[in-house]
Amino acid sequence: MFSTITSGAVYGIKSCPIQVEVDVSQGLPCFQIVGLPGSEVREARERVKVALKNVGVGLPPACINVNLSPADIPKSGTMFDLPVAVGIMAALSKLPPEPLKNTLFIGELGLSGELKPVKGVLPIVREAARGGVKRCIVPRGNLWESALVEDVESIGVSDMREAIEILKGTGERRKESGAGICKVSVGETACGEASSGQGNEEYRHGREGMEWSGGEPGRSREDFADISGQDGLKRAAEVCAAGFHHLLVVGAPGSGKTMLARRIPSVLPPLTLEESMEVSSVYSVSGLLQSTGRLKTERPFLNPHHTITGQALVGGGRIPKPGIVSLAHRGILFLDELPEFKRETLDILRQPLEDREVQIARSSGAYVYPADFMLVGAMNPCPCGYYPDMSRCRCTPGEVRRYLRRVSGPILDRIDVCVEARPVGFGDIAGRPGGESSSQVRARVMAARKIQTERYAGTDIRFNADLKAAQVERFCSLGAEERRFMERMFTSMKLTARGYHRILKVARTAADLAGAEKIGEEHLAEAICYRRTEVFG
Amino acid sequence: MRREEEKAYIHWMYQAAGMGGGKFLGILRKTWTPEEIYKMAAEGKLEEKLAGKYQKKAARMEAAASSGGVCDIQEAYREMTDRGIAFVTAEEPEYPQKLAAVPDAPYGLYYVGRLPEKGKKSIAVIGARSCSEYGRAMARQFAAALAAAGVQVVSGMARGIDGIGQQAALDAGGYSLGVLGCGVDVCYPPENNRLYGQLIEKGGICSEYPPGTAPRAMLFPPRNRVISGLCDGVLVIEAKERSGTLITVDMALEQGREVYALPGRVTDPLSRGCNGLIKQGAALVETPGELLRSLHMECEERTTCRQTELPVLDGVQERLLRLLDFQPASAETLRQAYMDSYGAYMAVPEIYHVLLQLCAMDYAGQAGGNYYFRKGKY
Repeated sequence: MFSTITSGAVYGIKSCPIQVEVDVSQGLPCFQIVGLPGSEVREARERVKVALKNVGVGLPPACINVNLSPADIPKSGTMFDLPVAVGIMAALSKLPPEPLKNTLFIGELGLSGELKPVKGVLPIVREAARGGVKRCIVPRGNLWESALVEDVESIGVSDMREAIEILKGTGERRKESGAGICKVSVGETACGEASSGQGNEEYRHGREGMEWSGGEPGRSREDFADISGQDGLKRAAEVCAAGFHHLLVVGAPGSGKTMLARRIPSVLPPLTLEESMEVSSVYSVSGLLQSTGRLKTERPFLNPHHTITGQALVGGGRIPKPGIVSLAHRGILFLDELPEFKRETLDILRQPLEDREVQIARSSGAYVYPADFMLVGAMNPCPCGYYPDMSRCRCTPGEVRRYLRRVSGPILDRIDVCVEARPVGFGDIAGRPGGESSSQVRARVMAARKIQTERYAGTDIRFNADLKAAQVERFCSLGAEERRFMERMFTSMKLTARGYHRILKVARTAADLAGAEKIGEEHLAEAICYRRTEVFG
Repeated sequence: MRREEEKAYIHWMYQAAGMGGGKFLGILRKTWTPEEIYKMAAEGKLEEKLAGKYQKKAARMEAAASSGGVCDIQEAYREMTDRGIAFVTAEEPEYPQKLAAVPDAPYGLYYVGRLPEKGKKSIAVIGARSCSEYGRAMARQFAAALAAAGVQVVSGMARGIDGIGQQAALDAGGYSLGVLGCGVDVCYPPENNRLYGQLIEKGGICSEYPPGTAPRAMLFPPRNRVISGLCDGVLVIEAKERSGTLITVDMALEQGREVYALPGRVTDPLSRGCNGLIKQGAALVETPGELLRSLHMECEERTTCRQTELPVLDGVQERLLRLLDFQPASAETLRQAYMDSYGAYMAVPEIYHVLLQLCAMDYAGQAGGNYYFRKGKY
C-alpha cells in the first residue's frame, strides 16, 4: 500500500512543503528513507520503529520505502518523524485516508511515542497555509507557535497515541482526560476545550498573536527618561530611529553608550504583525522561540561580544543557521567597542548592510535570512578615551589615528550619524529631571516615518537612509539659500563629496522630524554635526 | 688621502657602528685615522685593541668590514652624495660653529638643503605635538615674525608646534632647519611630507644618524641636544609638565643657551611646562618683538600680539562664542555651559546650527568629532 503525507522543511527562513511518500510492500523486510535525508532524518527509522511498537503498532516484516519529495533537496532536522510514522500507518491501512488530506504533520518522536517540539514550526505552518493546508498536527510544545498562523486549525498532541486517536476520530481520550488536546483556530473565543492549566496558557499565547493589539515598543522597563543629561545622544538616536540611519556613538567608557543603545528599541515604532511574524520566524528557525513561549513582539536588541566570529555574526555552518544579524532583524544590532572587532568580522557585515539580508550559498542551494537591522556601533575615541579633549587625553596623534583606523572604512561609510558621548558629569546624575520619555520621542519618530512612507509611496524606498545618490538629488533638493549655506560649509568644514549625500539624507530626516517640507539651514547644520570628521575615519 | 675618501670611511663607520656610534668614533679618531680603523676591523684586530664597553661595537664593525671591500665604501658614499645628501664632520669649516662648541656635539652631520648661515641668529621654536589652537596660532605668529626679521628657525619637524612654526617661517620667506631623529631621507612624521619637501628646497634638513635610519623613540632625545646646540636660544610655545620639549630646554641650559617661554593660563595643562619654566627663570616673552630685542635685533612694532575685538554678532552667536575656548569643548558641554551661564535652554539642533554659523564665519573651528574651539584670531 501507498500513502502520502504533507510535511515541511525550512531553508533559511523560507519553508518548502515536503511530501512524505511511504510504500509498504511484500518482500525482504527492510526500512529505508530516500530523498537526500541528513543523518538525523535517516535515524528517524529507528525512532519511528520503536515509537510505533511502544504505542502498540507493530511493524510487519515488510519492505518499507520512504521518499521525501522533492527528492533533490537535502533534508535535515527531526520534524519528519511524525509524518513518517503516520505515513507508515496509513500505508498499512491502520488509519483512514480522509483525515490525512490537507493536513500537515511535524514532530519529533521519542522512543516511548511522545512528541517533542522542533525548530521552525512557524515558517513551515505559514508556508503550508499559503499552500492550502487546512489543519496541522504539531507537538504540544509547538502548538502556540503554529496557532499564530491564521486560517489553519492547529492541533497540539503530546504523544503518538493522541495523534492516532485524532486521526481515527475516536477522541475518547480527549473527553476523558482533557489533558492532551488543545485546539485553536481563528475566531474561536472560548477556551473551553483546553482545560489543563498548561493548555490554557498556550491558548492565551496563541490568542495574543491573533488579536494583535500591536507590538511592544521595547522592553518596557527601559526608557529614554532613564538617561539623565546626554540630550545630544538622545537627539541623535531619535534622528536615527526616524530615518533608520545607522549610528556610531563615540565616547569614553561609562559615558552611557550602551545605556543609550539598549533604549533605542523603545523609541522605534512597534512591530507590525507582519514584522513580528518575520522576526518570530527567524527565532523559530534558530530554536529560540520555544523557550520564550510567545511571539516576538518587541524589537530585538542584539549585543554580541567583540570576540564573535564572522560565521556567528552573519550565520552559516554546513547546515546554515541564522546569525546574530538575522536575529537582530527589524531591531538593533549593537556592536560595542567597534575597533576591537576583527576587521574581517566587520567586513562581513558589508553585504547584509547593503542588501538587508544574508545569503548563504551551499551546494544544497542558497539560504536567505533577513537582516534588516539598525546598526549601532560604540567606540572609544582613542585608547585612553578622552580624545579630542586635549586637557585630558594622553594619546599621541599617531595612537589615535591607529586606533580609529582599526574600524574598516566601508563599514563606517554606511553609518550616517556619528555622535559623541560626553563623560557624565555630576550635574547630569544629580538634580536634573530625566527629560522626555520614550513614548514622547516615539510619537515624533512615528510621525516622521509616516511622512517618509507617504513621500516614498510607489518606490522601493522605505526610509531616508535607503536613498541612493541619484535619489538624494531628487528627494533632498535644497533651496537657493540652503545651497549657499552648504557651499560655505563645504569649504569651511572640509566636507567631502562622499559625505555630502549622507548629510543631505540625515538633514532630510531632521526636517521630517520637525515636520518641515523643505530642508532648512538648521537641519543641514545638525546633519553636518553628525558627520564623521576626518579624524574619525 | 683626499678628504672625501676619508669621509667615506667615516660614513661607513657611522653605518657599521650603529646607533650611538658618534661619540665612540670621536674617541677612535683621536688615535687612528678612519682608514686604519677600517683596516683593523677588516683584519679582525679591532676587538682586541678595544676593551670594555666598546667591545660590542667593535665586533659589529668587524662584521660589517668583512662583508664589503674598500671599493664599496667609496661607491656607497658617492651614491649618497649623488642623492643630494651631504656629510660634514666637526673638523670641517662648514660644520655649524655653534654646534661645534657644544661638548657632546655629534662628530658627523648629514644634511640636505642648506645648513644655517654662520653670521645669523638662530632660534629653536619648539613645543607640544598635540597642541591647542592657542599654541598653533602663537607658533605661527612667532615663527613668522622671527623669520621675517631674518632669524633662522630651527626645530624638530615634529607634529604640532615644531612643524607649524617651521611652516610659518618658510611661508614668511625665511630659512628653517629641521633636525630629525631619523635619517635625513626619512620623512617622519609622514604627515609633514609637504613641509619636508619645502625644507629641502628653501631651508635644510639635518640629522646625526646615517641615511635610512628609521625613527625610533630612543633616537629623539639625543637629537634635541642638536636642536638647542644649533641655536642662540630656545622658544617654548606650549609644553605639558613632562614632555620631550623640556628635554630640549634642559640641553639648552647645559649648553648655555637662552630659554624663552610663552606664558599661558594656569588651568591649561599645555601651558604648565611653560609657566614652570618661567617660574625657574626662563625669559617670559609676550611678543616676537621682545624676543628680537633680547637678541639685539631691530624689530617693527607691528609684531605684537593683540586679540582682535569680538565681532558684532547676533545675541545667541555672541553669547556662545564667549563660551568657546582654545581648548576644544564638545557641543554637549557647551550646551550645558550655555544653560548654566545664561539660564536659557538651548535645544540640541539649535546649538549645532549656531556653532556651524560661527565656524562658517571663521570665528570657531571644529576639532575631531563634535568638539569646537575658538579660532586664534590675532
